[in-house]
Amino acid sequence: MGNLEPVKPFPDSEEMEISFGPQHPATHGVLRVLVRLDGERIIEAKPIIGYLHRGTEKIFERETYNGTIPHTDRMDYTAAATNNQGLVGTVERLLGVTVPPRAAYIRMILAELQRIASHIIWLGTHALDIGAQSPFFYTFQERETILDLYEEYCGARLTLNCMRVGGQPFDLPEGWTGRCRAFVDQLPARIAEWEALLTNNRIWKKRTIGVGVISAADAIEWGLTGPPLRGSGVKWDIRKVFPYDHYDEVEFEIPTGASGDTYDRYLVRMEEMRQSVRIVTQCLERLPDGPVMAKVPKVIKPPKGEIYFSVEGPKGELGYYAVSDGSTNPYRLHVRPACFVNLQALDVMSRGLLVADLIAVIGTLDIVLGEIDR
Amino acid sequence: MANPWIAYLLVPLVKIVVILLTVILLAAYLSYFERKILAYIQIRIGPNRVGPRGWLQPIADALKLFTKEDIVPSRAEKLVYLLSPVIITVPALVVFSVIPFGTDTTLFGLLPQAIPPYLTDINIGILFILGVSSVGVYGVILGGWASNNKFSLMGGLRSAAQLVSYEVPMGFSVVAVLLMAGSLSMVKIVEAQRQAGVWFFFPGIVAFFIYFVCGIAETNRSPFDLPEAESELVAGYFTEYSGMKWAFYFLAEYANMVVVSSVATVLFFGGWLRPFPNVAALAFLDVIPPFVWFAAKVGFFLFCYIWFRGTFPRYRFDQLMGLGWKVLLPVSLANLLVVGLGVLLIGGPR
Amino acid sequence: MSIRGFLSSVFQIDLAEGLAVTGRYLFHRKATQQYPEVKPEPKDRFRGMFGFSEERCIVCHNCAKACPIDIIHIADHFEEVEVEGKKKKKKVLDRYDIDVKRCMFCGLCEEACPTEPLAIWLTSKSYEASAYERNERLYFTKERLQSWEGVQPYPGVATPDEGQMPDDPTGASSRTAAEPRS
Repeated sequence: MGNLEPVKPFPDSEEMEISFGPQHPATHGVLRVLVRLDGERIIEAKPIIGYLHRGTEKIFERETYNGTIPHTDRMDYTAAATNNQGLVGTVERLLGVTVPPRAAYIRMILAELQRIASHIIWLGTHALDIGAQSPFFYTFQERETILDLYEEYCGARLTLNCMRVGGQPFDLPEGWTGRCRAFVDQLPARIAEWEALLTNNRIWKKRTIGVGVISAADAIEWGLTGPPLRGSGVKWDIRKVFPYDHYDEVEFEIPTGASGDTYDRYLVRMEEMRQSVRIVTQCLERLPDGPVMAKVPKVIKPPKGEIYFSVEGPKGELGYYAVSDGSTNPYRLHVRPACFVNLQALDVMSRGLLVADLIAVIGTLDIVLGEIDR
Repeated sequence: MANPWIAYLLVPLVKIVVILLTVILLAAYLSYFERKILAYIQIRIGPNRVGPRGWLQPIADALKLFTKEDIVPSRAEKLVYLLSPVIITVPALVVFSVIPFGTDTTLFGLLPQAIPPYLTDINIGILFILGVSSVGVYGVILGGWASNNKFSLMGGLRSAAQLVSYEVPMGFSVVAVLLMAGSLSMVKIVEAQRQAGVWFFFPGIVAFFIYFVCGIAETNRSPFDLPEAESELVAGYFTEYSGMKWAFYFLAEYANMVVVSSVATVLFFGGWLRPFPNVAALAFLDVIPPFVWFAAKVGFFLFCYIWFRGTFPRYRFDQLMGLGWKVLLPVSLANLLVVGLGVLLIGGPR
Repeated sequence: MSIRGFLSSVFQIDLAEGLAVTGRYLFHRKATQQYPEVKPEPKDRFRGMFGFSEERCIVCHNCAKACPIDIIHIADHFEEVEVEGKKKKKKVLDRYDIDVKRCMFCGLCEEACPTEPLAIWLTSKSYEASAYERNERLYFTKERLQSWEGVQPYPGVATPDEGQMPDDPTGASSRTAAEPRS
């Protein structure tokens, strides 16, 4: 790939370097972007991270396997269930344990609800950055219902700790499936409302069409996953390509975009919310009976070995690389965060754009610093 | 009135005091209504703790701003820095001297003879308004420059460019009304609408929309509020202002909103006239006093301002300028041509 | 652009759609809950403030081992007691401290506790325990874990001393008719 040459529209003019500092209402966390500007045009935008580093991977090494699960909640704190799902999936594959089908279906429901919840945060904050203040409140009102469902299930709203190695800690409470069903049945009407505010709105289109374009070839080269990859037209979703849990038994589509700009990524995520509704409906209908926990020993000691396993989180491919030395604690547990890899494309996407578009690009990449910095 | 001291000194003084107090109070309470209406749009309640249902919130805000520490940046150009809020606020208030709020009234019999409820009616009314409100642009530029902060300067220049560019289509849309009315005087424009029997909104609908859009851009409101938006890199021209000076900027913004709404009411919606003023069947509506009609129409426009703020994303700056010069200006010129032809065919202005 | 598209763009239909949505929401029922007059009610499994029962605790240290951040500090000693004529060694709890300011309320300690009913539980429906001074007030000794001094129980919830149980925060089931509540 080589070094990218900075783009200079006017060769004689002076450059200005601004730090789009760690404290800023629009950087979605403590992200610092060092922007080199020529007038209003961006020559180079370099993200500087590390302001939220907490040594999570080191902490993993001193925990038991079940004890690492609460720590994963705090990485991508907007999508705790998929973080959990990745970790327990990794350890189960190391152990060679298959999760009972009821537990797998419950995991799918929780993960898809989490996808909707995470996309809700993305939509609210992205619209807010571009200036539309109201979608934030409408979307978060729906997220409240999702968080209530989580609270009924596992006792927490944000840092869920809702999965264990070998299955689920509890079964669904009384009436949960009914409430979940009622929620997802009315969600498409809400999504249509949010779309009425934004999708055809001329101002929204002017701010997002043609902004932050990345071609499919570039997206694959930079290692993007998730909506940034699918927005450029590449049909790649871990749930379809390397299915886990029981994703191969449910029907859903993978939405892709055509031109890889912000508007396409916006449409992709809106459609993903609708597909998640479809998945949850099917899972609720097909929910099998049975135990929710497989037969795993009380103290989990996987045999020596290493494994990489990834799930399709709302932000992209969230992977875990686990090395076990036969003891109760992992020898090394490395996380492949989706946002960390996606953030690298910030530079590519924002060259030649105006400064005001940088906000749109950061929003469309949907980054969460907790995952990037760990 | 026999006594010139009363007619030429006391009455205008009283009117000035009443108008100023009303406008300042209205601007302050407009901030309260904005917060409440935005909140209601966003399914929340807004201020409701200070006073019954939050009605004392603007008073609390004003008290806080009065008692806030007065900070002047050390490298700022002190005189200009202190003067800029004044330069931007005074024109916004002065404009109210020529806006007519109603017909001659005795205030329900309190006064011995009917007096007009506006300060004065000069025969170049609308020209005076356009000219004086343009002086406010100086406050923006000087404020941005005097803060000694390169981002404030950039924001100030951008804001000034926006204000100046949107004055042109605004002027042309006003000219369309002048063609229909035949006079620059605000009162005569309303009278022309009464004689025509229809508000100028109906023949001049394009002009109205252009005027209102330009008015939103003139007051730096959403969707044209890039220079003052918080989530943008370049901060607004009033970043370095705090306390009472900041309050002046916001007073000026809200007062400008009221100005634009009032002028739109007078020019396009018949001022203090009821709908279809010459239709006898609707004469029962005359029980509502004229200035209530005026206030209702202005209130409707202010509500639209807030409604637009809660709904639309904001334009990027180059798109904003493109809209003003490449879309609104040609459309307003074309509209002028069409209205001119129409007036010619009808046989002259009313 | 089609005729429909052109007309829609001239008449700003897309903007009007957006205005219709926000205009309708103007008359919606508001979602605000006026805290502190109305407190949000936690669900049954909500992981809230700790409840502890010293008499049920068998001092097995499972909770301390399960805690991912090691905030449960337990100290015990053996005592000789007479049970049915035989001398037995019984574990006595000296210290059971939880450093609540570090706690992430993950619930792993509750899951690890083997007694029935649980000796340490988080399903207490209470979440108001804020303090002005962290190091002192958010470090709970076993007395405070049971008396809930400094913790504001959710309305209707009893403190562990007053009979709060893991599956019944109001403490109603542990009170018989003969014992009126103090």
